[in-house]
Amino acid sequence: MKNSTTGNEPKTSDPTASANNYTNILLKGLGVSGGVGIGQVVVIERLTEEICPRWVLKPEEIPPEISRFESAVKTAADHLKDIKSRIGSHHPLGNHIYILDTHILLLEDRMFFEGTKNAIASERQNAEWAVSETITKIMSAFDTIEDDYLKERARDIHFVGERVLRILMGISPESKIHQLPPNSVIVAHDLSPADTAQIKRERVFGFATDMGGKTSHTAIIARSLKLPAVTGLERISKIAQTGDTVIIDGSTGVVIINPDPEMVLRYRQRQELYSKYQQSLMTYGRLPAVTRDGSRSVRISANIELVDEIEIALNHGSEGIGLFRTEYLFLGRRDLPSEDQQFEAYRQVLGHNRPNPVTIRTLDVGGDKLAVGINSSHEANPALGLRAIRLCLERRDIFRTQLRAILRASVHGNCRLLLPMISCLTELQTSRAILDEVKAELASEGQEFSQRMKVGILVEVPAAVAIADLLAREVDFFSIGTNDLIQYALAIDRVNEHVSYLYDTLHPAVLRLIRQIVHVGQATGIEVAMCGEMAGDPLNIPILMGLGMDELSMNALSIPIVKKFIRLLSMDECRELTQKAFQMQTAQEIHNLLEGWIRGRFPTDYFVDQPSASQ
Amino acid sequence: MMVEEKIIEETLMVGNQLGLHARVATMIVQAMRNYGCKVTLCKDGVEVDARSVLGLLLLAATPGSEIVVKAQGPDSRQALEEVGRLIQNEEFDNR
Repeated sequence: MKNSTTGNEPKTSDPTASANNYTNILLKGLGVSGGVGIGQVVVIERLTEEICPRWVLKPEEIPPEISRFESAVKTAADHLKDIKSRIGSHHPLGNHIYILDTHILLLEDRMFFEGTKNAIASERQNAEWAVSETITKIMSAFDTIEDDYLKERARDIHFVGERVLRILMGISPESKIHQLPPNSVIVAHDLSPADTAQIKRERVFGFATDMGGKTSHTAIIARSLKLPAVTGLERISKIAQTGDTVIIDGSTGVVIINPDPEMVLRYRQRQELYSKYQQSLMTYGRLPAVTRDGSRSVRISANIELVDEIEIALNHGSEGIGLFRTEYLFLGRRDLPSEDQQFEAYRQVLGHNRPNPVTIRTLDVGGDKLAVGINSSHEANPALGLRAIRLCLERRDIFRTQLRAILRASVHGNCRLLLPMISCLTELQTSRAILDEVKAELASEGQEFSQRMKVGILVEVPAAVAIADLLAREVDFFSIGTNDLIQYALAIDRVNEHVSYLYDTLHPAVLRLIRQIVHVGQATGIEVAMCGEMAGDPLNIPILMGLGMDELSMNALSIPIVKKFIRLLSMDECRELTQKAFQMQTAQEIHNLLEGWIRGRFPTDYFVDQPSASQ
Repeated sequence: MMVEEKIIEETLMVGNQLGLHARVATMIVQAMRNYGCKVTLCKDGVEVDARSVLGLLLLAATPGSEIVVKAQGPDSRQALEEVGRLIQNEEFDNR
């Protein structure tokens, strides 16, 4: 993995314009593409609505105005075709180039082309006014779309309109982006795909924009170019000026304008660390998770929710899927996914991971999230309400269809079924009885399914921990869902800003609950996995290993660092540290113990990617 | 001369995990250049021209949505099949 600045000479040590003015202005946005970029700001100006001239046409001016518009559209299309042919197919943007074709088609689109001509002819608006009105109307139509990705496409029509406006107004349609000085950090309100397509990779150290989320073009392009990027900064295009020195940290979302030399030095070190670190880490992803003393007791897998994520999971070294969240198949649609649609998704995930295990969690949502036929949106406490397995047992039609699809897919790989939010034995027994009925049904239809499919429960309700020994008799494995377990055990709503500070993974109560599950698992001989965020935080790894977890499932991006830690640890030292942690009385003490220990144990590797490293 | 003027239609499911997104919409409009027939896509009572990228995007067809594709005119069968393939295809999932 190549980092943005590898091999480039730092130029920021001799800032000129702002040499006496180290303002250290700190902005916080959304880090959408990792790494640190340090360079000189180049502000890419966008045309603002206000400067667009407006006047009412005389009747005889209408036909020439229409031709003026048509010719501007033609020029705009020619420009885009020209950009496309110049960058060619070998461009690092690879298959994202299609978006330029999309823009060319948008120029020709009836809604835009005829819509604007219509506004000129019937409203007697000059071309600029008509374009701007038409674009505004089209963009507002996108407002009603719920899907984030499709909603973002409103920006595409905006960029296309802007290109036409610039031509009409005699402003160069090309931004400064194709003639950047070296060491540029591009700052803009928003970047159009045509802008980013023309970027000379070797001259750019990063992007910072006012607009945009994780699925904005800037984010997508930055990731494919492996350049750091921070979006959603709201006002950076107004605050930063071309020539300012700027630091952007695409991991933490921090941007510092006109940093003092000490700050630059600090980030320079962080940058170097980051790029070396990323390179070395990926190597670890490919290695097995064996401790220094040869223990292969733990399996490292990935949590995914889209079939598409399999590739990233495998690239980062996952040894299976520890949690396939099936909600994505159900959400954002007006009907329920059919058995065949579900089957296809499960089959793909299983097939790609074969022979490694794939744990498929049955539907884990509240009724309010499903569009069809469940009226539970008025619950006072949705977290304690009709959701997950409770919903499935209420709506057995949904549950049975999902079980049928999973069972049918089970012959295509190593399939495990995970039931969420089990809080009592009856729920588990009822679920298993339904599973048996569905199996009998499939058998009578002559459908194939795996007889050996393991069934486990997601341990996330404290009650399930208390009766783990009873539940263990009826399941093949436990998987600890730490996010909810912590929330329920500590009675804290993580998204409530008043109490979220109390949410602590290392609360002694949490650790004791986990230990209790592991003990039951060991006593009854069933596997204990963990699939919450806790499993992917390197800080927790020694203690999770020390407790004797059988599987840790996490965000794919965490896998390389977790494997690295595991490979450098021995089981003995993990157990010893775990014992010490259990003698502590507060979360803070445990945190200090782990952090101090890891800092001492991994002095050069410690948390390069964590916000705290820069503080 | 026999010209197929009958409207033919088919109900299809969006196969792509991201829904009918910019890339698929672009490919549909580009594919339509090879045909002289009229093709529309209809979802939840909203009908759009298969030659309009904006129309296709504004359908807001999320994964698994049902879409009725209608074609009328020369080569309508082939056009319907090609558009159908693009809608159902799961491969073009790169944003």
